[in-house]
Amino acid sequence: MKSDRIRLIVVIAVIFVAFVVLLWPTSEQTYEGFAKIFQRIRLGLDIKGGARLEYRVDVEEGAENPSEVVDDVWTVLRNRLDAAGYTEAIVRKTFRENSSFIVVEIPAATETTRAEKLIGSTGVMYFGQVVDESEVDPSTDPRLRDLAKIKKAEWLPNREGNVWYLVRREIMLIKDLQLVSPSIVSANPVPDTRPGRFGYKVTFEVGSRDAEIFKKITQQLMVPESATGSVTAREKRLAIVLDDVVQFAGYVVSVIPDGKAEITGNFSLEEAKQLAAILRSGALPARLEKISAGWVAPLLGADIVRTSLWAGIVGLILVLIYMIVFYRTFGVITDLALLYNTFLLFGILALSRSILTLPGIAGILLTIGTTVDGNIIIAERIKEEMRMGRSVKAAIAAGFDKSFRTLFDANLTTIIAGLVLYYFGTGTIKSFAITLIIGVLGSFFVNIVFSRLLSDAFSRFIRAPRSVEGGVNQ
Amino acid sequence: MKMMEFVKHRRIFIAISLALAAVSLISMLTKGFNFGVEFTGGSEIILRVESDHFTESDVRQVVDLLPGDFAMARITQVRSVGDPANIRKFSITLTSTFETDIKNEIKQKLEQAISDMGVKAQVVSFNEAGGYAAEEVRRLTWRAIVIAIAAILIYVTMRFSFVFGLGAIIALAHDVLITLGLFSLTGYELNVPAVAALLTLIGYSLNDTIVVYDRIRENMKKFRGKDIKRLVNESLNQVFKRTINTSITTFLVVFTLLLFAGNVIKPFAFGMSVGVIVGTYSSIYIASPVVLRWVRYR
Repeated sequence: MKSDRIRLIVVIAVIFVAFVVLLWPTSEQTYEGFAKIFQRIRLGLDIKGGARLEYRVDVEEGAENPSEVVDDVWTVLRNRLDAAGYTEAIVRKTFRENSSFIVVEIPAATETTRAEKLIGSTGVMYFGQVVDESEVDPSTDPRLRDLAKIKKAEWLPNREGNVWYLVRREIMLIKDLQLVSPSIVSANPVPDTRPGRFGYKVTFEVGSRDAEIFKKITQQLMVPESATGSVTAREKRLAIVLDDVVQFAGYVVSVIPDGKAEITGNFSLEEAKQLAAILRSGALPARLEKISAGWVAPLLGADIVRTSLWAGIVGLILVLIYMIVFYRTFGVITDLALLYNTFLLFGILALSRSILTLPGIAGILLTIGTTVDGNIIIAERIKEEMRMGRSVKAAIAAGFDKSFRTLFDANLTTIIAGLVLYYFGTGTIKSFAITLIIGVLGSFFVNIVFSRLLSDAFSRFIRAPRSVEGGVNQ
Repeated sequence: MKMMEFVKHRRIFIAISLALAAVSLISMLTKGFNFGVEFTGGSEIILRVESDHFTESDVRQVVDLLPGDFAMARITQVRSVGDPANIRKFSITLTSTFETDIKNEIKQKLEQAISDMGVKAQVVSFNEAGGYAAEEVRRLTWRAIVIAIAAILIYVTMRFSFVFGLGAIIALAHDVLITLGLFSLTGYELNVPAVAALLTLIGYSLNDTIVVYDRIRENMKKFRGKDIKRLVNESLNQVFKRTINTSITTFLVVFTLLLFAGNVIKPFAFGMSVGVIVGTYSSIYIASPVVLRWVRYR
């Protein structure tokens, strides 16, 4: 049949891609021996352990609500790791003797330096006023050091480290007119479309909490575009400071009333991306001081993982046997579908660089359930059709047609629940939702396409059930 | 095959379910849950031993003798950059918190017990730890639950009818409530893997219910005007074999896990095993019978 040929091609193509992705060479060394074929599946903290970093949260003295500051730090770090795809990382707070600490544990990061990169900047970002600049290192020049004292400001280098800016937090020395760790809602690189301009600019939006103070700052520092570069204007530049480095310094050419601003400067795409990333990364409300960097062993321990794995395999073999005993040919088809779906799922996990943890395995178990369930629904349907006197081939066609709607509704309802979990969950719950959705989609595909192909191919082994076995009285 | 009566005695089963739900609710409200340390927070002890063959189970042996809920403590080895090879550090987390003088007492006992084994030991730090998973589930609040329910309700109303949407939600709430109740009653630790089991149960319960509804929907088109009670009962009989076989296969996997798997996985396997049973029961005896009265031909 023509449609079966298309199914065959799709089935082979899909599993081929899954195997290519799964077996693609990698430098990671998670498994040994036969299990090496799973090298690209990354394992979570509970199974494999990971990098462990501990920071002290440097809450400023006299902060109104210190525990809120620590909570905010927690949220920023959590969001950064989630955005980097490390939903499986654990971020937790600990306390001792009036100090607060943040412990970050990151799976699949064997080098602590890489883990630190993922955590990103540990400093505070602020908008400051540039009052002077120097191309000489100010620490070598006592006059420049005195100037900093007079101006109530400090010398900070630019990113290249060849220019120093004298930056003051309090804009125009107006009391409390400063914006430290502003909430940035979005920041993106966009092409500069104005005539005569090339390259990229960065648009960003300050959250409503800080929009008012940002407006006041831009009012104070505004200089008309024609006046830029003049001596007075040079003392009114705005600096974006992070980790004690001036990430950007430039003129404010208009008042920003609603927090929606843009930075123009003929950036290259790379520069624009970098600046947007700095703005977006979420400013920490307090500085983090690294206490220790190292590793954490798996929570579950090798012996627990091994017994659980064996228990899972034994359970799976029982399912395979059960299906063959009760469904004969359909049982064989179901078992093959199960193996197919398992490798497909591993391929997707390798492709999406997901990190497998115990909750993720729960999602996989549900997938096994839905795959078997789908095949049982189809098998029962085909038997019913045969009882009504249809030929094997016609019964298969009708059985799949009628089951399609059942499976479609059942799976889509599950996916809806999964999407809500994905949207509202963080960390573990998010990754569980991902596995759940991928698994349900995969099992739907396997039920409708793979099982259909095998049913047609094996149709001569399928026997019509004796009518006494299960005739339903109407 | 004999036709089984699922619908006839529906009041009995609904009464059983109501009783189970009530017991669950009472247990949850009075006895509460045995939450894992990732939810409640508690204490974290960093222990440093001067030995390169002291293992987690050695630490476990020692802490089992301490007061508080040290028996439930989680122990993992940690290591910092630059630690010498003959030093091992362990992080011990548990749900209890202690006053300063008790802390010192525990510290001394711990160090003493290990040095009695001929190994030098030192408690590096004794922290209060926050429950990080509590923050993770914090956003899964009433708003999320309401949106989830609304989304499912809208979808099922579109594809079936509002009554069935309501039935699916009732069956789902029934399954989650009773499973949670059993966690409370048995005292199994409610940890992150256990929550994963509960979330899986949501998928399982919905899936099971919709398959039954699908058959009712189909039969309602085929046999227009037939007595609803009989039609629902016949539909349940038609899908019964599938429901049982699916449940048995899923149960085989999770129950093997419950029998053999290690301690942290036990709550997970327990939740899954209970969930499969409750979910199967509700899809047959609750999901359809509970809304029977309002089902109409369209």
